[in-house]
Amino acid sequence: MDAMTGRTATVPAISARGLGKRFGRIEALADLSLELRRGEALGLIGTNGAGKTTALTLLQGLRRADTGRAEIFGHPAGSVAARRHVGITPQNADFPEQMSARDVLAYAAAHFERPQPVGELVAAFGLERLVDRRMDGFSGGELRRVALALAFVGNPDLVFADEPTAGLDTGGQDMFKAYARAYVESGGSLLLTSHHWDEIEHICDRIVMIDRGRLLLEGTLDDIRRNAGRNRISFRIAESAPVPSWLDEHFQREGQRWSGVSADSDGLARRLIADLPALQDVHIEPLDLKETIAQMQMERTI
Amino acid sequence: MAILRANLALTFKRLLRQPGFWVPTILFPAMLYAFFGAQNAGGGIAAVYAAASFAVYAVLGVAFFQFGVSIAEDRQSAFAVWQRSLPARPFASWTARLCAALVFSIAAVALVLATARLVGDLHIDAATQARLLAVCLILAVPATFMGTALGYLASRHSVVAVANLIFLPMAYLGGLWVPPPALPPQIDAISRWTPTRHMGEAAWAAVDGRSIPHTSVAALLVFTLGFFALTWLAYSCDRHARFG
Repeated sequence: MDAMTGRTATVPAISARGLGKRFGRIEALADLSLELRRGEALGLIGTNGAGKTTALTLLQGLRRADTGRAEIFGHPAGSVAARRHVGITPQNADFPEQMSARDVLAYAAAHFERPQPVGELVAAFGLERLVDRRMDGFSGGELRRVALALAFVGNPDLVFADEPTAGLDTGGQDMFKAYARAYVESGGSLLLTSHHWDEIEHICDRIVMIDRGRLLLEGTLDDIRRNAGRNRISFRIAESAPVPSWLDEHFQREGQRWSGVSADSDGLARRLIADLPALQDVHIEPLDLKETIAQMQMERTI
Repeated sequence: MAILRANLALTFKRLLRQPGFWVPTILFPAMLYAFFGAQNAGGGIAAVYAAASFAVYAVLGVAFFQFGVSIAEDRQSAFAVWQRSLPARPFASWTARLCAALVFSIAAVALVLATARLVGDLHIDAATQARLLAVCLILAVPATFMGTALGYLASRHSVVAVANLIFLPMAYLGGLWVPPPALPPQIDAISRWTPTRHMGEAAWAAVDGRSIPHTSVAALLVFTLGFFALTWLAYSCDRHARFG
């Protein structure tokens, strides 16, 4: 990344305009435009079948778009010039079983000008014990670790990670989150799809949400939470204290604890304080990403 | 060069660590020659012809099982899709495959000749052996296109069965197991229209020190072009289906 040319330093890592793709009668993606800047992590989210993988394959140049155009650091997606900047985690880690992890990492490294030392990646992804063994005996999680290391072995400027931690244990997931965030902070660009919302929140600066092939929502995590404007309020009431009837309109009760989501959390908190002298242990906190999106979908604001 | 080296290393390691590939392709032609070819031929020029026939059979085996089976198995794997994301043109991986095919073909033909010497007590001079080897390498071109077309047409689940269903009858029909004069007349009539018969004619001419019959040269050219066109068509269809 340090030796990036002036050209790559100024142009976006990904620039896509009006991407569309049909498979027969099914419109997998329609008019998708997005941009990923250098040193930014973008989360591409959506339900199964939303069009995430189609979008990724078009951006990676592994399929041709029916409409629109995608560029990687100013080069047409899929061109050799674009691929020099890119590292990809294979979604299905079905490596040739006769090969060792070191064989495959060395093979990938040979394609890049300034690859990362294989030893560093082996340590970073916890492969020390496995690296020289044939992969036919690897568990799904172990193969996934090799797949993650493969994305970074070329020391790429942009990494596409398609559900990178599927099948990984929590230790592996934490390891990837830390590595990916450090990669982005050192100037790398990352496009991540994941069904692990905490992973998106931890790594990504911005998200793009698609549904049935169409862009549904785009923005930084802070913007989305701010625009959603919802906070969770939770509190307890002393056992013997009277409970005002209006609480049921806004809150659910679980044991002694009440909680609810509100667009006017400050106003609601003031009302609680005024009406409930026995109020205890009040918390007001922003919704996490998953809750925010669910709330927006429930309120049909997206 | 680094990319080509990496592809060569990957290709050879994968093949060498896969006895299911190299045992049938390298050892079987020599074994079959030892069990059947040498005994049926008896001796003399018939035994020399038999050795040439099994050399062609060996080249076909490499083409069908290295190109046919391995391409069908590879092209539908996620690893092959991921390989397309690397910054390289397909040239390096194709060159590596071709080099491997040539090396395995040479090894298989050399083993047939060594077996012929050992079991059949056959003495073919070095110049004749070199001529046969050179012809076999040329025959590897149409054979490779046959194997490659198969690799792009068959699925990974069916390819081994399909390869055997084509490879074994073609070897028989081409007169590679039973010499053409010993084939029943109806089979011999069919045999003249098969690529394997003309491959055999080329190999038999090489050990005879004759030039290859013009009809066989023409037929081999037509078959080579035909299989190339079929390979290109199958490759384009597969590419469109998976990446279009």
